[in-house]
Amino acid sequence: MVIYKQTIVLYGSRVVVSHTPRVGTRLLVVLLGVAALVALLAGFVVSFVLKTPQAISGVSATSYDGVSIHLETVGAVQDAIDFPQPNNPHPTWVSYLPTTTLKVPANSVVTITIDQEDSASGLRNPYWSQAQGIIGGQFHMDYFDAQGNPQSGDFTKLDDASTPAHTFAIPDLGVFVPLLGISDAAPAGSINVITFSFRTGAAGIFHWQCFVPCGAGTIYGNGGPMQTLGYMGGFLVVQ
Amino acid sequence: MKSPNRTHALRLLIAWAVLSVIGVVLVMQIQFPPGDQSRQSADESSLLSLMAVLSTPVLVGVVLFILYAAFAFRQPAKALEDGPANYGNFRLQVAWIAITAVIVFVLAGIGITQLASASTSTDFSGTQLGTTSPVGGAGKSLQVQVIGQQWYFTYRYADYGGVESTHLILPVDANVVIHVTSTDVLHSFWAYQLGVKADANPGVDNVAYVTTMHTGSFTVRCAELCGIWHGNMSDTNGKVVSQTDFATWIAQLQKDNAALTLPPYAPAYFPSPKVKGT
Repeated sequence: MVIYKQTIVLYGSRVVVSHTPRVGTRLLVVLLGVAALVALLAGFVVSFVLKTPQAISGVSATSYDGVSIHLETVGAVQDAIDFPQPNNPHPTWVSYLPTTTLKVPANSVVTITIDQEDSASGLRNPYWSQAQGIIGGQFHMDYFDAQGNPQSGDFTKLDDASTPAHTFAIPDLGVFVPLLGISDAAPAGSINVITFSFRTGAAGIFHWQCFVPCGAGTIYGNGGPMQTLGYMGGFLVVQ
Repeated sequence: MKSPNRTHALRLLIAWAVLSVIGVVLVMQIQFPPGDQSRQSADESSLLSLMAVLSTPVLVGVVLFILYAAFAFRQPAKALEDGPANYGNFRLQVAWIAITAVIVFVLAGIGITQLASASTSTDFSGTQLGTTSPVGGAGKSLQVQVIGQQWYFTYRYADYGGVESTHLILPVDANVVIHVTSTDVLHSFWAYQLGVKADANPGVDNVAYVTTMHTGSFTVRCAELCGIWHGNMSDTNGKVVSQTDFATWIAQLQKDNAALTLPPYAPAYFPSPKVKGT
């Protein structure tokens, strides 16, 4: 087998000898370079994929077969009342707190209570102002009305699609719940408390998100916290 | 004595013919996607099948010749010399260009005809937006709007008061005109088994056509990278149901929607949600 070729060419009286460079050495350098690049890329991807927000598990309920989860929605992470996050990299972002990875058991009732402290951004699609997929078709709300008076009641929907601050939606489970924004007339530090329940089926991982373009200051309101895991969306881990 | 070239040619020809027939028979057993839930998807499947059948003899010919040449015309070890000079063969070149051209133009013709027939069929006459033309009856078609939003598709039924749903339910044996739009960024509505994929652009009424043929479920996916939850923007609960089931379902949807205040049905929406702090 001929790998190295030596060519001798006669130009007049001059003799030119040309060598083909060592192929093996070159190949080794290229292969090592490619391997290093691939390792770097793989390391980056793996570390990115493995970086997930902490998870919280539902607390077993005493009066029924299921769990309950307590969440808080804030206009800015730094203003959190229930779940302060002093080390959060984005203190001014809207967010669900304390985390957006929720672990719940399969085939059970999950009751979610949300302390909603953010003002309204309004829905782009008014269709989402109707609650869907929750037990009884209704959510309970202790809230402040447009005049700033405390009220309480059960609702199937919010009448005005411009009043939700966020929605809690698990599309693959058909769960969609609008969360009323704090009325401008409500006293400072007011909280709307929204409670609803839904049933989980088989085990699986389902994404959940907000349908209100609530990422203030980002293009169309759908950037920043809406596009980042751990703020306005996460996973419901049914296990 | 026969020339060795004729012997090679004859061997190759016989092997090619036999293997091609076997290959074509095998390829015809394949159920090509996307299936036959709609006339459009059935057309796509049969077109894929036709292309596979026509290209099988070509594949067999190329691979067979390479393998045959590698063995039959192999250079013996240690003898390093060039092959005989080849100055081309005019008849051969004309023949292969002509045959290739005919195959390509025939396939292009069939493809263009099918693509055009997906939407220009007389089935879809009278399909302007807002026309009241519920299911049933010749020339009638069902108008359905697909709204892409970060990160889910919702569906409005123009002929039924613009009611909205989270799943796409269609009656069987119906001509459906699908109007695709978006309320935010670019999405792409892809109803796989229906053989429909159409861009969802904000402010645009993008029209696609489906003639449902068989009941069953189908999967809807977003086919345009649209943000963090793009990969979850799917729904496996799209259904083609019987006309009576559809009537029952749409009546229930109308009841569920009764209390809702939705914007009037329109080809596109330009919502202006409140900006926080204003």
